[in-house]
Amino acid sequence: MVDVTLAAVTCTHPSGTMLFPAMWVSTTLAEPAHFSWLETGLLVAGIVASITLFFWRFGPILRNIFHSKKDADFSLHPVGRRVWDFFWEVLCQGKVIRQRPLPGLAHAFVFWGFLAFALVSSNHIANGLQIGFLSPESYIDKFYFLFAAAWALLVAVGITGLFIRRFFVRPIWLGKKVSIESGWIAFLIFLLMVSYLGAFFVSPDGAAVKALWWTHTLTLLVFLPLIPHTKHLHLVISPVTVFLKRDGFSKIPPLTGDEDFGLVAGKDVTQLVSLQVYSCVECGRCTEHCPAANSGKVLDPKEIALGVRSYLNTLGPASDVALLAEARPETSFAPLLSMEAAFECTTCGACEYQCPVGIQHVPVIVGLRRGATNTGMWEDTYGTKLFLALEKNGNALGLSSMERDKFIQKEAFPIFDGTQEYCLWLGCMGGYDPKGREIIADFARVMNYLGVTFGVLKKEKCTGDPARRLGNDLAFQTLAEAGLKTFETAKVQKIVAICPHCVRTIANDWREYGIAPEIEHHSEFMARHKDHLPKQASGESIVYHDPCYLGRYRDVYEAPREIVRQAGTLVEAPRSHERSFCCGAGGGLAFLGEEQGERVSHIRAAELAGTGAKVVGTACPFCNTMFRDALAEISEAPPQLLDIAQLTARALPNASESVNQQVR
Amino acid sequence: MSGVLVVMEQRDGNWNRMSFEALTAGQQLAAKLGVECSAIVMGDGVGSLAVEVSSKKLAKIIAIEHTLLKAYTSDAYVAALDQAVKQAAPAYVIFPHTYQVRDFAPALATRFRSVLISDVIAMHDGPVFVRQLLQGKLNADYRHTAAGPCFVSIQAGTFRGDAVEAGTAAVETFAPTLDAAQIRNKPGELFRESAQTVDLSAAPVIVSVGRGIGEQENIPLVEELAKALGAELAASRPICDNGWLPMERQVGSSGQTVSPKLYLAVGISGAIQHLVGMKGSKTVIAINKDENAPIFEVADYGVVGDLFVIVPALTKAVLAARG
Amino acid sequence: MKILVAIKQVPERDAQVHVAADGKWIDESDLNYTINEPDAYALEEALQLKEKNGGEVVVVCAGPERVTSTLREALAKGADRAIHIEADDLGARDTLGVAQILADAMKAESPDLILTGLQSDDLGLGQTGVVMAELLGIPHATIIMHVEATGGGLKVKRELEDGWFQHVEMPLPALLTIQSGGNKLRYATLMGIKKAKTKETKTVQAAAATAPAIALERVYLPEKQKKTEMLTGTPDQVAAKIVEKLKFEVRVI
Repeated sequence: MVDVTLAAVTCTHPSGTMLFPAMWVSTTLAEPAHFSWLETGLLVAGIVASITLFFWRFGPILRNIFHSKKDADFSLHPVGRRVWDFFWEVLCQGKVIRQRPLPGLAHAFVFWGFLAFALVSSNHIANGLQIGFLSPESYIDKFYFLFAAAWALLVAVGITGLFIRRFFVRPIWLGKKVSIESGWIAFLIFLLMVSYLGAFFVSPDGAAVKALWWTHTLTLLVFLPLIPHTKHLHLVISPVTVFLKRDGFSKIPPLTGDEDFGLVAGKDVTQLVSLQVYSCVECGRCTEHCPAANSGKVLDPKEIALGVRSYLNTLGPASDVALLAEARPETSFAPLLSMEAAFECTTCGACEYQCPVGIQHVPVIVGLRRGATNTGMWEDTYGTKLFLALEKNGNALGLSSMERDKFIQKEAFPIFDGTQEYCLWLGCMGGYDPKGREIIADFARVMNYLGVTFGVLKKEKCTGDPARRLGNDLAFQTLAEAGLKTFETAKVQKIVAICPHCVRTIANDWREYGIAPEIEHHSEFMARHKDHLPKQASGESIVYHDPCYLGRYRDVYEAPREIVRQAGTLVEAPRSHERSFCCGAGGGLAFLGEEQGERVSHIRAAELAGTGAKVVGTACPFCNTMFRDALAEISEAPPQLLDIAQLTARALPNASESVNQQVR
Repeated sequence: MSGVLVVMEQRDGNWNRMSFEALTAGQQLAAKLGVECSAIVMGDGVGSLAVEVSSKKLAKIIAIEHTLLKAYTSDAYVAALDQAVKQAAPAYVIFPHTYQVRDFAPALATRFRSVLISDVIAMHDGPVFVRQLLQGKLNADYRHTAAGPCFVSIQAGTFRGDAVEAGTAAVETFAPTLDAAQIRNKPGELFRESAQTVDLSAAPVIVSVGRGIGEQENIPLVEELAKALGAELAASRPICDNGWLPMERQVGSSGQTVSPKLYLAVGISGAIQHLVGMKGSKTVIAINKDENAPIFEVADYGVVGDLFVIVPALTKAVLAARG
Repeated sequence: MKILVAIKQVPERDAQVHVAADGKWIDESDLNYTINEPDAYALEEALQLKEKNGGEVVVVCAGPERVTSTLREALAKGADRAIHIEADDLGARDTLGVAQILADAMKAESPDLILTGLQSDDLGLGQTGVVMAELLGIPHATIIMHVEATGGGLKVKRELEDGWFQHVEMPLPALLTIQSGGNKLRYATLMGIKKAKTKETKTVQAAAATAPAIALERVYLPEKQKKTEMLTGTPDQVAAKIVEKLKFEVRVI
């Protein structure tokens, strides 16, 4: 680009102009030489009106954000990560391009063009006030004008592309309703670029240059107040949102004080949440990747953000009116900001992962659940059954802990007594579910084979994961504190678990109440020891399903794949890694009743089976149990379903032949 | 003060069959103690019932007759039995452990400053009465230590009702002093719930079918067994998912939670989602072709085999047994 | 309506119990305690009656210091006040003795209605409610599924055997023993726990124990442990064996 521009500069006539047949083309931007008092007066009036109209709307928005509750846990730390996110997500437009390459690039052109234009536009207005600071005659400025012109071309192309996408291609994620305002904005941006570029094609003395100048100016003056009135507000605030977003993926903030039960009413909405919901640009990436929205449920993460926004616009940040539609029947705004929707979320985090403007949906949705559950407003037969089971039995399945004791006896697992290296955490699936037990038993075989010592806890309660995600802070706190005490009493140093939900909850969520011993997922453990585990030559095709709580939540993608590669040929699902599609179990939903619409597990199971792989490899007992039912239903001869521990253990010599090797 | 007195239960001239189990218990206790056993029949117009029991080996039958005893009220029953027991002065008063007994017998015992030893499952020398603690986790031996009569109620099925010893007994009529004013409760007619939707949670017997049934056409096979047993038909989730049976018949974590006396699982492997819905069943019988199916871990009786052969054979046997 | 709910603290249902050294009770050292489940339903019924008709719900529990945790949970679920009858020797009292100390504490409150669970998860005698009513001289009804306040009295639905029910009308004050499962229990909430901190718990001393009328002499493991019995043979033989079990063990034929 630069080369071309330089070439263009060097080949021009010393006067700076060239005569093409029937066309005046210049490498110098034409600027009006003189402005009358009337024109200056009109300009000043226009600027005042434009800025007034901008703040007329932007002021209340800022007020709503600043008057929202302070985020008690907010800290700028780690600044390095924030600077990087800002650089990558805002300046480089990394997320925008990566998730949707073509429209992403078009958007990036517009954004970068805007940056390139910042000086040009300021100078343009300044000229009208006779205080222009760039001179078309200066070589540096001339170069800059040409540089901006190149960007103007790219912006014009980009915005035209986006216009065609929105009005002709019309992807469903942008919503059913055609956004006329987007059309107008696109038109204004196009007009800005054309009126700028046009100034290279007119003589500096004619009437045309004035006409172009006024066109450009008026477009700018109209554009500015449109920003806060439309979703283009993100131009102004999303860079701030990206920089300030809460540290940690899907992090649920602690409750503060005796009156905080989560997001009950407007007064509970924090500044970060306000800032985030005002940033929403309605691009629909969250909707596109949401398992609920894609299976015929009410929940649409975009509508949650927009719902909170319209709540703030309607009632303000100090309101006592409930946030959830069911609890404010006399209001008509944001019907999708509802309890029904909030409790359809699997907390898979795809929305949050995709969002290019820094909105963290999961803490908001869990916050709404907290508001409903902590106050007892949420009444659901299955939810209540789950909570009572956690209260009474300490496990999510409501089974007697004697069932777990029997299983431990049957498998002859050693009880952790402080002499072993690892505490093997069973979890409710590993301790009670027949399939989960198979996984645990096989993983124990792997540990034995490796000669790694381990023991299981005599008594174990749920980590509180389903209570946490369903917004029951009392049950969660009780279980977290009990768990921390158990580990402390047993003097556990290192934990390994087969369930990513247990790992996440112990490693991150328990931190509110204390520091748990170091914990890792069995995929990480096995990947570390993979050189000592047998490599299987079968070459059998295995499609690996990334569990949300291992991938997006823990950033572990490679470890389980290494295990799969040891066992056969790894096949990738159409949606994998960060874009993996949920199995439908997370967020406590595995314990709730029948789903609305299509089952999430069926959609994913069909996708996995569709790869033609012989085996579906999982790394989470919940994914496993969801697919167990789903696979059998979608296919007469479904692929085999095996956890990575089972994939590994099947190649081990029989227990009787196994020699404990000291390999570490 | 001596002897055993059995309080039998009737409603509208029909015996509660558990009365005869209590009668067997009373006879056996009396034999062990070397004392006489008598029985009480109470109500309004129970003469023919009393005559029916006079063919049993009893010292006497006390027929407590009063118009205020027509419909059961605890106030009338306690007052009448208070008088009758005082007059008969037995050492032991035996009841069947029915819902009605649970309603009045503790109050009656209180009148004698005693405590009912309820829900007894065995009697040993002493006499020591055995009852269950902590939902059957433990057994406990109880002994009566007060001066007055000892009140005991017998759990259903502990003694055989058809093992009552025959003999002859004289019928004595006892007219208690009752005043309508002392009866505070007004009992209504008995009724059953109209079964609008399937309420598996209240069903005493459930036959449940799982994926092992293979195809929808095979469902009637299990339906016939359920009919023969007078059971409700239930299913695991895959069956309801396929629409082979309505969703309301689903047992499990996303369906109903049941606790029947008998849960007969046919072709159900026993996924955890299913197990949590039926773990409260008193007895579980499982029929499955896979001997490693987890359902066998929770079953009391298991049959490994082809359900398509076993179920029809069982249906036939059940029908034969019921006559 | 002023409703008193008598609740009992019992070992958790799935607790692994061991017989104590003296063979007279279980080893309590490693046990976790919780509210007796039928009493939880009694409390739920009381809370629903209050929500419908207004009034006050007071929970009453006899036992050592540890029972206050169960009282606090009841307050968290919505009870207004709690009364703790301090007694460390419940094991030395029989049903009559326990009912007596509960009745003494309740009399002072002059309630309109007393609710309790139909039986306890540990002893399972199922009599405390009825004995209390007798001691207090008020009418009672047992195994109640549903309660409705009528003008000055109650209309209750009693459960009878084999799927039969009966409505009973009775005057107040009265005592009811509540069947499990008639209502849906509510879960404890953070808000409830926070509110419970501000509610009153009154402690009263239990009168000295008197000589019991019945004595628990010995506890022991039942001989038959639950184990899967596999039935084998030809289909007809298996069917005959099952029918045998259904007749004499399960008793459904």
